[in-house]
Formats: sequence, C-alpha cells, structure tokens
Amino acid sequence: MKVRRFHLFAMLLAFVLVAAACSDDESSDTEAPAATEAPAATDAPAATEAPAATEAPPATEAGFAGTIRLGAAVSETGRFAREGKDTRQGYITWADWVNEEYGGINVGGERYEVEIVMYDDEGDADRTASLVEQLINEDQVDFLLGPYSSGLTMSASAIAEQYGIIMVEGNGASESIFERGFENIFAVLTPAGNYTQSALKALADAGAESVVIAYEDTAFPTSVAEGAIRWAEEYGLELLGVETYPLEVTDVSAIMTKFRDLEPDIFVGGGHFNDALLFVRAAKELDFNPQGMVITVGPSNPSFVEEVGSDANFILGPTQWEGTMSWSDEWFGTSGDFYDRYTEKWGEAPTYQAAESAATPLALMVAIENAGTLDMDAVRQAMFDLDIETFYGPINFDETGKNVGKPMGSIQIQDGVINVVAPSEAAVAPLEYPAPPWEDK
Amino acid sequence: MDQFLQALINGIMLGAFYGAMMLGFSVIWGVMGVINLAHGEFIMLGAYTTWVLNKDFGWEPFYAIILVFPLMFIVGYIVQRVLINRVVDQPILVSLLVTFGLSIIIANAVKLAYSADPRITETEFSGAWNVGNVTIPVTKTIILGLALVIMASLWTFLNRTRTGKSIRAAAQNKQAARIVGIDINAIYALTFGICIAITGVAGTMISPTQAVHPFMGAPLTLRAFAITALAGLGSIPGALMGGMVLGIVESMIGIYVDRIGTNLAVVAAFVLLVVVLITRPQGLFGGLRPVEQAEQL
Repeated sequence: MKVRRFHLFAMLLAFVLVAAACSDDESSDTEAPAATEAPAATDAPAATEAPAATEAPPATEAGFAGTIRLGAAVSETGRFAREGKDTRQGYITWADWVNEEYGGINVGGERYEVEIVMYDDEGDADRTASLVEQLINEDQVDFLLGPYSSGLTMSASAIAEQYGIIMVEGNGASESIFERGFENIFAVLTPAGNYTQSALKALADAGAESVVIAYEDTAFPTSVAEGAIRWAEEYGLELLGVETYPLEVTDVSAIMTKFRDLEPDIFVGGGHFNDALLFVRAAKELDFNPQGMVITVGPSNPSFVEEVGSDANFILGPTQWEGTMSWSDEWFGTSGDFYDRYTEKWGEAPTYQAAESAATPLALMVAIENAGTLDMDAVRQAMFDLDIETFYGPINFDETGKNVGKPMGSIQIQDGVINVVAPSEAAVAPLEYPAPPWEDK
Repeated sequence: MDQFLQALINGIMLGAFYGAMMLGFSVIWGVMGVINLAHGEFIMLGAYTTWVLNKDFGWEPFYAIILVFPLMFIVGYIVQRVLINRVVDQPILVSLLVTFGLSIIIANAVKLAYSADPRITETEFSGAWNVGNVTIPVTKTIILGLALVIMASLWTFLNRTRTGKSIRAAAQNKQAARIVGIDINAIYALTFGICIAITGVAGTMISPTQAVHPFMGAPLTLRAFAITALAGLGSIPGALMGGMVLGIVESMIGIYVDRIGTNLAVVAAFVLLVVVLITRPQGLFGGLRPVEQAEQL
C-alpha cells in the first residue's frame, strides 16, 4: 500500500513537472534555476555586450557625463524565443547606435551613454514580474523597456506602475494593456484592435462578402479578433463563425473542417507564428480554400515564406512596419536606411518586431532630450507631449499611452515576395484577389 | 453526417499519431520504470533531423525515416548507457529529475544550433482526396499507415522474437530474468535505443503537419503521459486504443462544440487522465505489468 501511494505521488510529481514546463503561468521552483542557467551561460553576455562594447572605445572624445540604465525582461527561451530575439536585437541596434554614432543621449547639454540590462523571462508572466522587480530594486534601472507579447507586457507594466517608473514598449498591442488607467506605460506600436483593419477593408473593396475568425484565447489575439469582428461589421462583411483555440495548440483540423463547411470568402486567423504554419497546412490538407486568408503573425516574417514555400502566396498579414514604407526621421534616416543598418548588423532582415523594438527606446530618448532632465515626472510629461515622425512611423501617445498616430499596414505574399498592399497610400503592389485553390498556388 | 464522418476521420488520424508517438514513452516506463520527461524532446530531435534532411539535402520527409531511425537508436542507446543506466535502480524521483534536466538541455541546445524559428518540412505527398463531402488528407493518411506499421512491428518484435521476449521478461521480473541468463543492462540499452528510435520517427511523421520548434516537446510529453495512463504501460493495443480514444474525443468536441471546441478538447484529455488515475491506475488495457508492481522491482 505504501509503495502504491509513493508511486501515485511520483506520477503526480511527474505530471506537475511536465505541466509546469509547458504552462505559462506556472513557475515551479525546480525549473526556474535550471531553465535560466542555460541561457545565462549562452546569451546573457550577448545582451550586455552592447554596453560593454561601447565602453571599450571611450575614444568618443570627452566620454560621457553618465550612464542611463534601461532594463527589460525579454524572452530568450520559451514560446516567444523567436520574437524575443527580434526584440533584443532591436533594442541593441538602438543602444549601439546611441553609444557609437549618436554620441549619447543629450540631457540638458550633457551626453549620457546608455546601458540595457536584459533578462530572460522564459515566456512566463510571473517570472517577468519578478524580473522587473529585480531590475528596479537591484539593478536600479532609470527606465524600463517592454517584454515581447501582450500577456507579458500586462504583467511587467503592472510592476512598473507600482513603482512609478516609465515603461516604453513596442511589443504589447492588446487594448487591455491601456484600459487600466496606468500612467507609466507607453506603446509605440499600433494597438491590436486595428491590426486587421486595412486588410479587411481592401478585401471588402475587392468583393469579399463573408468572414470567419479563429484566434488563440490569450490577450493579444483576443484583441485582434475583437477588432476584426468590429471592422468586419463596419465594412459590411457577414460574420459566419468564430472559434478559439488554446496556447500550445497542436491540431486545428476541427476548426478548419467547420470553417470549410461554412464556405466563407475570408479566413482570419490570429495567434502567433506557430499557428500560422498550422493554419496553412491544415487548410491545405482539408481542402479549405478561402479567397482571402489573413493571418495575424507570421506572413510578414520572411522565414514564413521559407518554410511553407508557394503555399504562402496570396496570404495577407498585418504589418506594423516594412522596410519599403516611406517614413523617415533625423536619427536613423528612412525605413529603408534602418532596414539596411539592421541587416548589416545581424545578418538577417528586420521583422517589424525588431523595428518597433528599436523605435521604442528611440521614443524615450527623444522625450528625455525634450525634457532636458532625467526627472521621471518631466520625462513622463514629455512622453505625453511627444508628436514625431520616425523611421518606424508617426509616434503620438494618447492619455492611455497608446500610439494613435500610426496606421497599420497590410502585406500580401505575392509569388514569394512580401508586398505592402494596404493602406493605399503605403501600397507597393495591388491586392491579388481572389486566391486560387491550393494546388494552383 | 458528413461532418460526423469528417470528425471521425480527423480523430482516427490524430489518434494513430498519438498512439505511435507515445509508444516509446510507454515501453520505457513499462520495462525500466523510468518516466522519461525528455520524451517530447526526442520527438523534437527526430523532427529537426528530418527538417535538416528536407531543407538542406532535399530529402522527402517520409524517406528520412531510413536515417532517423538508426540515428535516434544510437542516441537512445548512448543516453541509456551514459545516463539512464545510473539512475534506473534509484528511486523514481531521481530518474524524473534526470530526464527533466535532459529535456531542458536538449531543447536549449537545439535552440542554440537552429534558433527558435518555427520550421516545417515540405512533403510531396500533400493535398487531399475528396470522397463525397468528406476530405481525406494525404499526408495524414501516410502518417496513419506508418503508425500502424510501427505498432505492428513493435508488437511482433516483442512477442515473436527472442530478444523481444527477453525485454518482456526483464519487465515482468528482473531477478528471474537475470537468473535465466538475460543481460539486463544490454536489454535496457536495447529497449531504450528502440524506443527513442520510434520516438524520433514520430517526430519525422509530424514534421510536415506541425510547427517544429525547440520547445514543442513539453505538450507532447504531457499527451504521452495521459495516453499511457489511459492505455496501460507498454501495451501496444492499449496505445492504439488510447490514442484513438483521445484523438476521436478531441476531434468530436472540437467540431461539435461551438466557439470553444478546440479549447475544451485539450481539457478533455486531462479530465480523462484524472478519471483513469483514480478509477483504474493500471490503465484501461493493462500492459507489460501493473503500475503497482513497477515500484517493487
């Protein structure tokens, strides 16, 4: 009997361990140290190398009057490892530029170098919160930058608000982040509700009449989907079906089967990169042929085309930014200039996540320079007053901290090339509609 | 009716994959009493090997099995000799921690080597057959066929060959097996090698239908765990039935429950697990040995 009880205990323990490993809100004591040690050894130096590398050539004339420390918890491992990498690289691109080319942030006539302290949040909301506390209390950072994903930004910004420290972010688009009356959260990106607007408008204009929507039931995809439902109604598209699916989904056949039988003109799928691959493969193998497919995250990333090949053609995706857009500023130059700089530095083209992550600290920098001081209240006021155009697009925060200045673009994959097709003022190619069946793509 | 048939077909195909995917987990547990928490990571390794062969060398993913099977067998054999053999007689907690640690190491090593970008392989066997209003996906039909072949081969191996019988003997009574001259260590290493090879092939099988990324393993281990509890340790008919039950339940709920179907389907797997753990801890179909005896070896 004793043996059996022990065995049941062991099974339960095993279950908890596995559950902890794949759950996002479970942080077990056993996994935390093990999981952080691995990346700490591998990439933490890379993250801190940025400031270290800049300290090396103090040849920058007189040197700096001081250091502004920024802190961020960004995924290095876990389910946002890919997007987290883009985020880190975006931050570092900016930091290296400030220290090596720009000559430091100009605070009331004195030049400050910047240092970014980054930790791996493992895609876990609790871990994010404790890392942000650590950044504030132990690393004593001056300002905070956001993590990747809306869920983690929700968690991180709550801690920032508690300590009254400004957090600027470029990777949490969920509307719910800005509905809590916080005064210290600022986001440079277009909020999630508007992600599908230009794509749905373009499709409706091209003759589409009905739409189905599937989304992952987490903060950001939910906001995108709620926005899509709103815009569908606005543009006269009939909503035939809505389905949700969980994080870590491995099979979407059921959803695609249901949708196929509804025969909609447009399919909208919201989630993260993995889901984009699942949707394409499931639709193809179940012979579900919507005339327009809009997928929230994935299509705008060049590696999506690499992975699914010609099946990617005709798929639309929202984009915060593309290198072909016509924005420009006095710091990084045009969108195209940033594209070239990033590609040269990292050996890969910037995703929009990378671009917005470079624009995030840029907005903070301009606000600090406008304020002429590092005083938190003065910088906060300067953030609210900010109204600039950058390589990433216009930045103008409303009273909740959302960027209301920037429109969302839509891309379509056309013969393996990512082309901006909407809104019409930013388009480089006309929308291709309707899409042919899978075998003809 | 069409929708029901479609749900059934989707479920059977999913279930067959589940069955083949969890075999290795179940047999290792049954024979050695080791709960391999790195199971999903071995699936991931198989999937990545296939992806490399597919993208860099232009191999058809399903043909990659020819290489993945022996390669993963060697990996499994070495892991058993170097690592698992040292903890196989220790309390189960030790092997849990060792395999859990292994899972973190493998996932992060793959991430360093190939980045966290989700991948997918490209197979020529894609598309679908339409029978009336029901669609039969070609890729998944091949997966179904392979799963059945794997299960049948393993069953034949365990029940019809001398080595297979030795493995079963080692599972049933280690002491007695030693007495009749079976080299337990060799049998364990062989078992681990075969199980990991099958697990790697499962990775090959899903690589064209699912996103392949370094952290894909954990949910698969969790499923393998649930199905093993459902099916009974090391039972091959049980694996098939357990996988099918789970696959069909998930598929039916996914299709017939509006809006939250796919969410609810995942919950269903674990509700089943809890119910079975409480009512029939030895699993629905028995197996290599009853769960209670696993500890007494």
